[in-house]
Amino acid sequence: MKNNNKSFSLDGLFRQNIVLVSGLVTAPIIIACTTLMHALVLSIGFFMISYLSILICRFIPSKIAYTFRIMLYALVAAALYIPTILFLNNIYPEAANQVMLYIELMAVNSLLFAKTESRFYLIPFGKMMIDVFVYIAGFAVVAFVVGFVRELLANGTLFGTEVCPAIMPAASSPFFGFILVGLLAALCRAVSERRKERKDG
Amino acid sequence: MAEVFARMISLAMIAIFSQNAVFDRAFGVDVAIYASRKNHHIIGFTVATTVMTTLASAAAYPFDIMLLPTKYGYLFMPLIYVAIVSILYLIGLFVLWRAFPKVFYRVKQYAHLAVFNLAVFGALFLNYNFGKGFAGYVGYGFGTGIGFFLACFLLNIVHERFNSEKIPRMLRGYPITLIFIGIISLALNVLVGYMTEF
Repeated sequence: MKNNNKSFSLDGLFRQNIVLVSGLVTAPIIIACTTLMHALVLSIGFFMISYLSILICRFIPSKIAYTFRIMLYALVAAALYIPTILFLNNIYPEAANQVMLYIELMAVNSLLFAKTESRFYLIPFGKMMIDVFVYIAGFAVVAFVVGFVRELLANGTLFGTEVCPAIMPAASSPFFGFILVGLLAALCRAVSERRKERKDG
Repeated sequence: MAEVFARMISLAMIAIFSQNAVFDRAFGVDVAIYASRKNHHIIGFTVATTVMTTLASAAAYPFDIMLLPTKYGYLFMPLIYVAIVSILYLIGLFVLWRAFPKVFYRVKQYAHLAVFNLAVFGALFLNYNFGKGFAGYVGYGFGTGIGFFLACFLLNIVHERFNSEKIPRMLRGYPITLIFIGIISLALNVLVGYMTEF
């Protein structure tokens, strides 16, 4: 029972990662996550908008038709964008400005529409808080891995500090983002299946 | 008049090919992959997305002109765009329910996915940079929808093969589809010869 609870709450980190497995929130990672600083800003933005929206929207009565609930979710997330971007502009003005489009678009991210009704709102509030946090942590982990690889290859830096010569400037382009996330998704699946086989056999 | 029409067409072309919502900016990749699984989904999804990007772009124009040049106007744009899309979504559902009830019951389960997706909202956020004028907004919005259709169509062609036994298990489905989108994106980048500034 204890093990079941543990694997349930860690689903979002790996087995049901929203970028690598279900592909719900890919655009910010593929296009905007080109450096570790962008990864940090996107992760904070995603956390502030999605986590708080999901918690607040939990209080929207389920009697309201699904059509209207979806609109309310998006409106709450769009309202939360205001403090989020003000905060990010205050602490990381340059990076926040560079990825602003993808932070604006987090108001309509698929985690909010797809996972709330099918998962988060079906479990008790306390457990949901942890579950949502783990899902968002799953996003952040992928963001940092992608940001690390792309910054190192494209600029030869890590958090802006030079560590080696830039060997692949095209690593910051959208096509490399697609290919890298595709390869990470394949790796994630291979590791998941290996773990499952070990567990079964 | 001819100049306005030419502007609309040229911005639509830009949105379809050089700044394709899916291949160039990854807007609505998840929805495009979902829609491309079934032939009949593609038509429903892309018609809804195209109508919404076009109408919402037209509706957003006065708000962009009023608010975006101001210092803090950008803060309220997500709220305004969500409100515009929500109102159009309700009107669309109502019209379908009254005029085509059979279609309404068929599409109502996934209509929100076609409307509340990044392709629609991405077009609205980018309009101010590329649209320039009402005709430009409408052209860019329409082109984004058609570009989304193009992406769904290409993904639909390869869907069966990418989910077949011929593809190694670890790459099958979602991972190989992303790599495929990456290769198309590379081809479009080379064709246009520029880098996206997000």
